[in-house]
Amino acid sequence: MTQAQETNAMHALTIRLQDEMFALEATNVREILDPVPITRVPNAGAFVGGLINVRGNVVPLADLRVSFGMDRPPADTDTRIVVMEIELDGEPMVAGILADKVYDVADIEAASIEEAPKVGMRWPAEYVRGIGRRDDDFVIIPDMQQIFGARANPAANSN
Amino acid sequence: MSKTILTVDDSASVRQMVGMTLKQAGYSVVEASDGREALEKAAANHVDAVITDLNMPGMDGLSFIREYRTKPSSNGVPIVFLTTESDDGLKAQAKAAGATGWMIKPFKPDQLLAIVRKVAGA
Amino acid sequence: MSNIDPTEVFRQEAADLIETLEQALLDLETRPDDRELVGLAFRALHTLKGSGAMFGFTAVSEFIHEFETAFDRVRKGEAAVDGRLIAAALDARDHVSRLIDDPDYDPERGQAILGALKIAVSGEAKASQVSEPLGTSSQPAPATSEAAAGWRIRFKLATDALTLGSNPLLLLDEMRGLGPCEIVADASAVPPLEEIEPQHSYLAWDVTLKGPVEREAVDDVFLFVRDDMELTIEPLAGDDDVGPAPVAAVQAPLPAPPKAETTSTAEQQETGPVAAEPRAAAAQPAATTKAERNATLRVPAERLDELMDRVGELVIAQARLSQLAETIHDPSLVNVAEEIERLTSSLRDTTMGTRMVPFGSLFGRFRRLVRDLSEDLGKPIDFVTEGEDTELDKTVIEQLADPLVHIIRNSIDHGLERPDTRAELGKNPAGTLRLSAKHRGAEVAIAIRDDGAGLNAERIRRRAEEAGLISAGQSVADGELYRMIFQPGFSTATQVTALSGRGVGMDVVKRTIDGLRGSIDIDTVSGQGTTVTLRLPLTLAIIDGLLVRVGADRYTIPLAAVEECVELPEGIDAEARGRSFINLRGELVPFLKLRSLFGAENEPDRFQKVVVVSSENTRVGLVVDQIIGNNQTVIKQLSSLHSGLKTFSGATILGDGTVALILDVMHLVGFGQKIEERRRAETLEKAA
Repeated sequence: MTQAQETNAMHALTIRLQDEMFALEATNVREILDPVPITRVPNAGAFVGGLINVRGNVVPLADLRVSFGMDRPPADTDTRIVVMEIELDGEPMVAGILADKVYDVADIEAASIEEAPKVGMRWPAEYVRGIGRRDDDFVIIPDMQQIFGARANPAANSN
Repeated sequence: MSKTILTVDDSASVRQMVGMTLKQAGYSVVEASDGREALEKAAANHVDAVITDLNMPGMDGLSFIREYRTKPSSNGVPIVFLTTESDDGLKAQAKAAGATGWMIKPFKPDQLLAIVRKVAGA
Repeated sequence: MSNIDPTEVFRQEAADLIETLEQALLDLETRPDDRELVGLAFRALHTLKGSGAMFGFTAVSEFIHEFETAFDRVRKGEAAVDGRLIAAALDARDHVSRLIDDPDYDPERGQAILGALKIAVSGEAKASQVSEPLGTSSQPAPATSEAAAGWRIRFKLATDALTLGSNPLLLLDEMRGLGPCEIVADASAVPPLEEIEPQHSYLAWDVTLKGPVEREAVDDVFLFVRDDMELTIEPLAGDDDVGPAPVAAVQAPLPAPPKAETTSTAEQQETGPVAAEPRAAAAQPAATTKAERNATLRVPAERLDELMDRVGELVIAQARLSQLAETIHDPSLVNVAEEIERLTSSLRDTTMGTRMVPFGSLFGRFRRLVRDLSEDLGKPIDFVTEGEDTELDKTVIEQLADPLVHIIRNSIDHGLERPDTRAELGKNPAGTLRLSAKHRGAEVAIAIRDDGAGLNAERIRRRAEEAGLISAGQSVADGELYRMIFQPGFSTATQVTALSGRGVGMDVVKRTIDGLRGSIDIDTVSGQGTTVTLRLPLTLAIIDGLLVRVGADRYTIPLAAVEECVELPEGIDAEARGRSFINLRGELVPFLKLRSLFGAENEPDRFQKVVVVSSENTRVGLVVDQIIGNNQTVIKQLSSLHSGLKTFSGATILGDGTVALILDVMHLVGFGQKIEERRRAETLEKAA
């Protein structure tokens, strides 16, 4: 991929969280799963409160709705888990991302991506890398490193 | 049928180098890490030639050659010993013990093959 | 499989040999007259030199040649072992190590070390011998090189040559390879049939080799046999036909005449099968030392890891099979499932066994470290090691090396007093440092004990306050205070030395031990010394687990830590404050209600169970809703998102594919201990 192409478009997997559309970096996505049994991790906090089995590996399950202060209705027929690679403190790791619905893979034109406004946004600005536009809808591009970085070791040395 | 060479050396790297060279040239190789093991391997396998180091822990090469030559199965089996110095005293001792030939370390794979072909044939 | 880089094999082997050499040198320091050790060191050098040259490590080989020459004087008893020699030899050993990595490494230093070695071994002798450089002596002596139109070669092998492995047919083949040959066999020396010894060589050959072949090439054919045979080699005169050549026998300079040797060989042949004495005699361990006997198969570490992964997958698949067999209720399927479970379990144990490494494999480098520190700091030290056979997972062993180096450094640098101070205090001027390893249930305890000054609690407190680790006057338990020395940036050394005292390192210890899910304890008695104890889980791979249910969730407890399971007496309720103890045969054991610890929401089972677990000598009861049973547990590490949760040491995948968390017993016991301490404090208060 050349520099020009890279800056031109974001290759994105679009998902729905509550009523908002989010764009995840598609190249980091490993697979999309139907809901699987989730093991609760006591005292881990709601953001990564669970573990799932992905092909014999134990993978933490993250709920971005917690980071964005959204409602968390129980899973329904549209619920999916997006398994993707995330860089945390410079180390790659695999995590599951809960999605209320998975749409499709799309290119989001770079030209349409704007920086998140510092004020007046419903979402925590530090978790938003930018706002893109797809057709007539806004797409939130979450800053995964920020989101996961903030939550790493939430309960370190607790209890 | 390919000929079987017993190589005796306490150095795994030398054993590996000798082993690989010989196997690539179509010989079968049996390895031992000292004289005692070599005697066991020689008793358990049909051997067409022996290449042995002299300086080894446990049973050294000279004792091994002497001991091996007391066995009827060693009849006609050439023994080549490896030595780092061309020490004539040692050479004479080894020959008196029943060695057939010798090779000076360090050696290159083709030198090794030349010697093995010389004593054991292709 | 066979494509392992031979250079890599050499490097591994060299590392072992260097280790053997170092151990021998260090042992020689205490037992300078031990010939076996001298032999061991010499052999290590010799092998290293030989294989080094073969694999292109010329610099290594040349350096060792000189090293070996010097050491040979010791072996021959011409020079004695003393401190100077050991010091120079250890330097030389270090230099060899560096040369293996970098052939151009500091040649001047190399020369200086060799010089020191020569001086060290020239003690009794007058002049330091200059050894011949390697290589010149190993060239075969060049023969006179004359080429002729051809050669007439007549040869007759020694009578016993066939027995000794020479084969005249191969010699003839070799000559045929040089050029066209006419070969005539001379059978005149063959005796009448009834006298023939089938193993003897009676024939002579007359070979006319035509072609411009160098004399050297012909000589080479007879390289191995020419000393013990009759051989004439004469140039052919042009194209002229040749008449019978005068036979000028080249007699062999052999100690025994051929005739005598023939008979002796024959005798040996007869007695061969019953000649048991030499074997029995040689079966006595001939100067084999422990280091040498540890001959093993080398397997790349990744392959072991891979094997362990596969076994882990197998264990999980087997759990699924067992679960399936139970639901289907087919007796023959259950039988097979049980059989597979047994096999998997033993395969697991075997596989884990291959990963276990004796702790003693680490001791070597510590001996050197202690020796060097002792020299540098001028503190004589007795270094005592115990439990070298204690086995630990190789991953654990590898990761332990660095933390232990830091702790040992710290003990020697800060713990042990200077000899004059010790003498004033009435202590032995030589300090003692003891390194030990012991199995304790599912853990290994590694202790580093010095008999030095002990930790200074006041100074640590001051430093911790300065560093902002605690607030001024904050009450901190002694154990906790001592553990502060493992915090980043902490150092109390008033005199910063080159070795320690920069506050770097000790926090690495804590981080590494945490990473291995271990714990650190410090015991110190002022004026008598300090003991640092590291407690580590035995393995990082697969364990036997006890599966329990707490609320709606299932958890696994490492079985090795489980002492017993009892029912929680109905009258006792954990919610009642100050009564979280059960009476276990007269002993009060604190318990933790996992339901409240883990925030279980559904109704508790009526009959709660207590799983009593222990770590070291402390016990704690874990109250659960249900004990489900034993299972093999493949430990999966938690991601960094969850590694902060000390209650769990990892997770595992159950037979039905769901994930279960593994409880960290060490941590929970520590938790229980706090409850216990609180009770004691309360009891004391009441009593006061």
